[in-house]
Amino acid sequence: MKNTFTQSMAWLHTWGGLIFGWLLFAIFVTGTLAVFDKELNHWMQPEIPASEVSQADAARRAISYLQTHEAQAGNWGVSLPTERSPGLRVSTAERRHGGGVQLDPHSGEAIEVRDSVGGNFFFRFHFTLDLPRNWGIFVVGALALVMLAALVTGIVIHKKIFKEFFTFRPNKGQRSWLDLHNASAVLLLPFHLMITYTGLVIFMLIYIPAGVDALFAGDSRAYFQAQGNARMEQPRGLAKQPGELVDVVPLLAQAEAALGPIAGFNIRNPNTAGARIEIRPVLGNRIALSKGQAMVFDGVSGQLLSDVTEWRAAPLTQRVMVGLHFAQFGGYPMRWLYFVCGVVSCVMIASGLVLFCVKRGRKYATASADASARRWYRLTEVCNIGFVAGLLLACVGLLWASRLLPAELAQREAWEVRAFFGVWLLALLHAGVRPARRAWVEQLGLTALLCIGLGLFGGLSDGLRQGVVACALVLGVLLGVLAWRVQQAVPAPLKGRAARSVEAGA
Amino acid sequence: MNKAPAWLQILSRSGAALLGGYALTYAASACLARLLPLAPADAVIVATLPAFIFYTAAILWAFASRDALRAWALLAVAAPLALIGFWPQALEWLA
Repeated sequence: MKNTFTQSMAWLHTWGGLIFGWLLFAIFVTGTLAVFDKELNHWMQPEIPASEVSQADAARRAISYLQTHEAQAGNWGVSLPTERSPGLRVSTAERRHGGGVQLDPHSGEAIEVRDSVGGNFFFRFHFTLDLPRNWGIFVVGALALVMLAALVTGIVIHKKIFKEFFTFRPNKGQRSWLDLHNASAVLLLPFHLMITYTGLVIFMLIYIPAGVDALFAGDSRAYFQAQGNARMEQPRGLAKQPGELVDVVPLLAQAEAALGPIAGFNIRNPNTAGARIEIRPVLGNRIALSKGQAMVFDGVSGQLLSDVTEWRAAPLTQRVMVGLHFAQFGGYPMRWLYFVCGVVSCVMIASGLVLFCVKRGRKYATASADASARRWYRLTEVCNIGFVAGLLLACVGLLWASRLLPAELAQREAWEVRAFFGVWLLALLHAGVRPARRAWVEQLGLTALLCIGLGLFGGLSDGLRQGVVACALVLGVLLGVLAWRVQQAVPAPLKGRAARSVEAGA
Repeated sequence: MNKAPAWLQILSRSGAALLGGYALTYAASACLARLLPLAPADAVIVATLPAFIFYTAAILWAFASRDALRAWALLAVAAPLALIGFWPQALEWLA
């Protein structure tokens, strides 16, 4: 591309980073928020009571509710209260995707809970960008690959990687943005590489099905059978004869002793002789992601039919890499570590985007530059504001929408998502009509106020919701300080992004 | 190719990075899966885990190579790898 290898790599880093950085920022921000998805779920559905009910009691109440209301259903699903998710939810096969019914863990009665996309929205957006799932994972996969290439090219163009570890020169305009970009990148380089690569590993056989094509002639069912993931046969004849359901509570205790904390269970063909009870652990009992694992018991005799399988070395390696990405292990200290590291990743991407404009502002934003260069520069600036500050605004906007939209609104979840994208679009338009520095200050300032204001909604009855509000408060204050700093930046040459933004707006 | 306008060069190199990179990654994973002395179910996983290292290297090659045509050399590397990976299928096809 250029004369030397380093120059080529710098070119690739700059332009690849700019064009894909806007969406990568969105992916990293929502991924960071998804670390606390269940806590956000809980905050966004204030009707769910804060409860300290044992899983055994909750399970008994769930089953007695299902016996009364859904005795004929072909499948019962129960999500038990856990540390991160205090609600008790029951569902049947027919309503599996309708979210089921929320029960009061104390009384076992159904409670009315508003529909909300919850923190799950951030999780889904993180790996699909809210596109149809199959499209989304390919788009996000391609973006992750660009991220990987940007990281590697970033290392290549870095001559003094160790020295810049300790370098930060604040209040020096372009130098400071470069230092911030370098420091945030170098300091957590292992994390950036790990989170990007393990993200790709999750769907690696969907992206690159070469091995399955070559060795299994493209037959993914044959491949999964070879992995030993075949589903257990359901006894069809027995499911026609009535049978009495065994007490689930001792089975839960048995499963908990073997697997660690339990997330919930399924009962297939309840009240028949063919009943099967599948008990699943919470995801974070070990580093390897235990998704899809369960202990299966006979629903009449209570006999253990199939235990969780031990993985061979190769699948275990993949599971551990995926588990490192999902960040379910290690409890809250690990969750916070991932959250902080995620924030640093976001800072790295955002500072790189800003650096692009700061570096070129002197050249293109002045009156002497030619018109087309100025137009492109302005477009970049608007996208930077809309995709960085605007996305943050949209995220906190979603939290506000979950509380402000009327609880009985039809298709409430769709409206929450519309609110998210609506706010984002408005932010982009706002960035387009306001001078750049004003737009940064206004959007960051509004985001800060909305974050700080989450406490106004009250309902701080339990630790989880208090945690969400406190974390939002801290982030709000930090964003407020950032907005104030942008506002204060002296509009003189070589004094930072704001200076050039003002020239651009003038 | 060196005389081509800059946007065309960029387009060509991006195409080489995306398509050539994919072809190389796919072929290398298939080849590795075929050659690894493991049970097929394990070989698939072990051969696919490093796939994105190949892809990243291919992207870097596509933009670092001396001229834009050379970027497409990725395809030339991919072809023999694919042949090894799909050797039985290739024999069947020839027969």
